[in-house]
Amino acid sequence: MSFLARLRKFPFWAWFWFLLGALYFILPLYATVAFSLSWDPADPFKAYERSFGDSRFWRSFLLSNGLALATIFASIILVVPTAYWIRLKLPQARRIVEFLTLMPFVVPAIILVFGMIRIYSTPFTIPFTDIVLMRPLTNFSLGTNILIVAGYMVLSMPYMYRSVDTGLRTVDIRTLTEAAQSLGASWFTIVTRIILPNIRTAMLSGALLTFAIVVGEVVLASFLGVPAFGPYLFLLGQHRAYEPAALSFVSFLLTWVAMGLIQLVSGGQGQVAGSH
Amino acid sequence: MTHLALRNISKNFGDFVAVRDFNLDVKKGEFVSFLGPSGCGKTTTLRMIAGFEIPSAGTISLESLDITEKAPNQRNVGMVFQSYALFPNMTVAQNIGFGLQVRKEKESDIKDRVNEMLSIIHMEEKANSYPYQLSGGQMQRVALARALAIRPEVLLLDEPLSALDAKIRISLRAEIRSIQQRLGITAIYVTHDQEEALSLSDRIVVMNAGEMEQVGTPFEIYNFPTTRFVANFVGSLNTAEAEIVDPSKGALDMDGIRLESTNDFKGMSKGDKVTVAIRPERLSFLSEGKKENVFDAKVENITFLGSVVRVEVMIGKRKFSMDTFNRPSLSLPSIGDACKVTCSDKAVLILKA
Repeated sequence: MSFLARLRKFPFWAWFWFLLGALYFILPLYATVAFSLSWDPADPFKAYERSFGDSRFWRSFLLSNGLALATIFASIILVVPTAYWIRLKLPQARRIVEFLTLMPFVVPAIILVFGMIRIYSTPFTIPFTDIVLMRPLTNFSLGTNILIVAGYMVLSMPYMYRSVDTGLRTVDIRTLTEAAQSLGASWFTIVTRIILPNIRTAMLSGALLTFAIVVGEVVLASFLGVPAFGPYLFLLGQHRAYEPAALSFVSFLLTWVAMGLIQLVSGGQGQVAGSH
Repeated sequence: MTHLALRNISKNFGDFVAVRDFNLDVKKGEFVSFLGPSGCGKTTTLRMIAGFEIPSAGTISLESLDITEKAPNQRNVGMVFQSYALFPNMTVAQNIGFGLQVRKEKESDIKDRVNEMLSIIHMEEKANSYPYQLSGGQMQRVALARALAIRPEVLLLDEPLSALDAKIRISLRAEIRSIQQRLGITAIYVTHDQEEALSLSDRIVVMNAGEMEQVGTPFEIYNFPTTRFVANFVGSLNTAEAEIVDPSKGALDMDGIRLESTNDFKGMSKGDKVTVAIRPERLSFLSEGKKENVFDAKVENITFLGSVVRVEVMIGKRKFSMDTFNRPSLSLPSIGDACKVTCSDKAVLILKA
């Protein structure tokens, strides 16, 4: 084949758009990394050393990770059975539930947090009496953490629900459920041993998105007074130049590691190993 | 003795009646097929036995125990689905052992039973394969083993061979029948394929529009269909309108052509209009031997169908199909030739509406 013929066969425009897209994503990241390394030419990693040396970084980072894990866990417990039941028994309710899960896109986080503070900053009493059942959730640390996890669940609902729902769509859950029932399985067994393993990748995708939202979230954490990673990064950005760039890059890396883990767990098939 | 009994079963979905007044007694070890076109209610009836649908009326009992309202996981009924429904996250052995694990049987017992089932379906070497690594036929054999592993009271099969190609379908249906007979298990099989139902079943329930049309052995269903629907649905059929001339002698008149039939004429009288039916293979050329009915005919078309040759002839104003076995010595007339066609009086059936 001649050089010209090969040139004509070369998918020029496909490569052009691919490289343009890649540059769009890579350039800002490159700029961030380059900036984070430019603090001290003698010690390019100074911004990273400073960031990792700050005890507030570790405290806020670990707290956010803990909150993210709690949110993921609670979301899975809430969303998987809900999406499963809607697909199996209440398909007519799907549109309503989908609409509800999209509410966080419509209602800003600031409204959500003020609503939460308004309701949960007063003690729980027996209606029409002054008997207090529980003190305000905003008044103690565990209560605030419960509130913020609930808020994160709402914020991550569109991503988690849609991921799980898409996962459920890829398996014939009705027939699998009936097959398991005919073999004597209870609902708990069906969900834990049949449904969950078969939507593992979808759940991991939802979990990753939830993780990304929670770790970077500022509004809820700031207004509820939770010393999470988002407010820390925000505060740092206002007073420092190089460390926020370094930490932003670290956040990217974490996300990539998480995505790599998903690929590893799913065997690169986009679905649970063994399911086609 | 009745093993499974369905009494006056009906099922409505809103205004739509899916199954109407269904009654059936199934003996232990019997293989019964529900045969009918799509939407006739056969799968709905099967799903009611499995517990996936609750009847709107009537009762279902298994071993004299009313199971009408019992949950599917408490019925001990095994089910094989058209789409295999193997658990994608489990190996073949795990799939087969799932029902036993759910029942909390001992690990050693589960292992033994799984091995036994694997040997029954001749798939010992595939124990650690995942469903996606198997062919359709293998997947359905695993699904069968999984359903049988729990030693169910009744095995339900919902069009299990529909998704398979013709060759595998034939070999697997023989395997299903052989396993069912060997284990002596009661089986209910849903299909729209008459050949499957005829070759597998001890009895066939032909269904149409939610109702039972006829229940009988394959021989009875094929040779003595009682309704026009059954006759048309099971096998090929020539039908024609005729008038009863003499019920005591079984004499009929079809457009001026005299016909004799040994059919039961009870309740019919002279002058009644009826539908007569003759199977294509019951018609033959007069040269092959004279029978009670002889007709003048004209050859319209000849089609070779492999082992069978189908000859279409005009008898009077009506076109009839005639099937004859293909053999090297077969001598056939040419298209347009006049010929004589014959059939026995037993071959002429009179159908209900």
